Amino acid sequence: MDIAIEVKNLRKDFVLARQSQRLRAVDDLSFQVNTGSVFGLLGPNGSGKSTTIKAILGMLNPDKGECLIEGISSKKRESRARIGYLPEGPYYYKFMEGLEFVSLVGQLGGLTKLESVSRGEELMDLVGLQDACDRRISGYSKGMLQRLGLAQALVNDPSILILDEPTAGVDPVGAVDIANIIGGLKNRGKTILLCSHLLSQVETVCDEVAVLNKGNLVASGKIDELLVAGNEYMEIPECSLEATQRIEAILSEEGQSLVKRRDRKSLEQLFIELTQEEE
Amino acid sequence: MNEKLNLSFWNMRHAWLIGKTSYLETVRMKLFYALLALSLFSLGCSFLLQEFNFGSDELKFIMDFGFGGMTFFGSILAIVTASQLFYGEIEDRTVFTILAKPIRRSEFVVGKFIGAWFCIVSFVLCLTLCLMLSLFVRESILMSQYPEVFSEGRLLNYLDVLGFGFMQCVRLGMLGSIVILFSSYATSSLFSIIIGVVTWILGQLQHLAVNAWGQYDSLFLNTILFIVSIALPNFHLYDFGDKIALGESASISVYLQLVGYGALYCALYLSLAVLSFREREL
Repeated sequence: MDIAIEVKNLRKDFVLARQSQRLRAVDDLSFQVNTGSVFGLLGPNGSGKSTTIKAILGMLNPDKGECLIEGISSKKRESRARIGYLPEGPYYYKFMEGLEFVSLVGQLGGLTKLESVSRGEELMDLVGLQDACDRRISGYSKGMLQRLGLAQALVNDPSILILDEPTAGVDPVGAVDIANIIGGLKNRGKTILLCSHLLSQVETVCDEVAVLNKGNLVASGKIDELLVAGNEYMEIPECSLEATQRIEAILSEEGQSLVKRRDRKSLEQLFIELTQEEE
Repeated sequence: MNEKLNLSFWNMRHAWLIGKTSYLETVRMKLFYALLALSLFSLGCSFLLQEFNFGSDELKFIMDFGFGGMTFFGSILAIVTASQLFYGEIEDRTVFTILAKPIRRSEFVVGKFIGAWFCIVSFVLCLTLCLMLSLFVRESILMSQYPEVFSEGRLLNYLDVLGFGFMQCVRLGMLGSIVILFSSYATSSLFSIIIGVVTWILGQLQHLAVNAWGQYDSLFLNTILFIVSIALPNFHLYDFGDKIALGESASISVYLQLVGYGALYCALYLSLAVLSFREREL
């Protein structure tokens, strides 16, 4: 399988302002993101996620190691021609209108004005901002800014998407919409590097994850493999009282008992069901 | 789609797009209109205060007022705009979205300069045209009141006023490029604004440093004077409003020399800004 993003032995230190000490933000970090996969970069605040993303985007010079984008060093600007980036807590030009901004990003990525406007309209529609195209960004809500961020990240049809907290500030219904868009992009063969604190979302959309803590890689691999717990449970579908009693009897002979659990909705599921019914 | 992107060479289109967006930002800034209104107000005052012209010629008084406002408010605009456009972009984090595209840092720096300079040009052009209109109206009134003084036609050369305005664009462009240089490694916009103001003052006094260089025994002092003489442009060269007001026209060669001098310093400061910004971690 081809590798879209490769981080090799990345190390980055920052000099602390008031001390002659250095803070190691990332230490000997290595991971690979396969082409066409959705890769989750997880970790608590200060774990080195943003530093890693900035190194991938060539905005930071690593002290050691390197980042390769489809084989091209992230120090070369050619590497960024393949990337669409949604920054964390998106800050965009407040004085511009939504479509105007997406069109600007498209033109900076090589589209003509006509192409960028047409593509921008398409994407504003995709992210549900078709009615806000001509509105100043200063009037956008946080959720709308995230959607706008997704539109600008997609405008140049990049093969790799780096999404830093794409659902931060978005309501649960909007978060599901964004997750669906991410799923759609995955089906179209896009490679996605996703940073998110919404672990349920990461679990749903990601194929693989890397977990960072204090700049170190503490776990990485396929989600299914990482989430395997010690005990193995069997699921018994709803059956007659008689059948249940027979199973209990067999288990009792083994010195075990049947553990009964009732399916429980998550609060998120309930919220989505209720608000979608209202609509 | 990305195949259309010119990745091999320096891309002027990128700089132009960034410049256009930056210009849009400046003309949507309240400061631009506030300074413009203040400048026009001061020009209007010169009309009303014609009785207090301290014995100097009335048209010269209006011209001095106009040139003074252009230089004073223009320098404030140049310093604040250049700082806001460059450092403001880092502070507001909007730079991440732009530099995540395949853009050279040099294209970004030049784009920001284009945006700031176009803003300066718009401001100076507005003031110059208003000043020319004021002078024309006042001169026409005086011509009807004192036809004997104007027996040989109009006294003022309006092309000189326009020329002075253009030279201020060059001078303020240099100031803007210095502020961009300091903003490229600044850690606060206040720092780049303060340095901009200090540079503006030192640049006005640069000719004194040139004259004083070599006249002191202290090596330290001579070194400082030498650095000031070389590193800072002589802004005083562009203060030829008095001569215009007295009816002296500057020759084309003087204009060309001033443009060349300004372009050279802008290129120097922007090159240093590129070197500094290329190494900056965001």
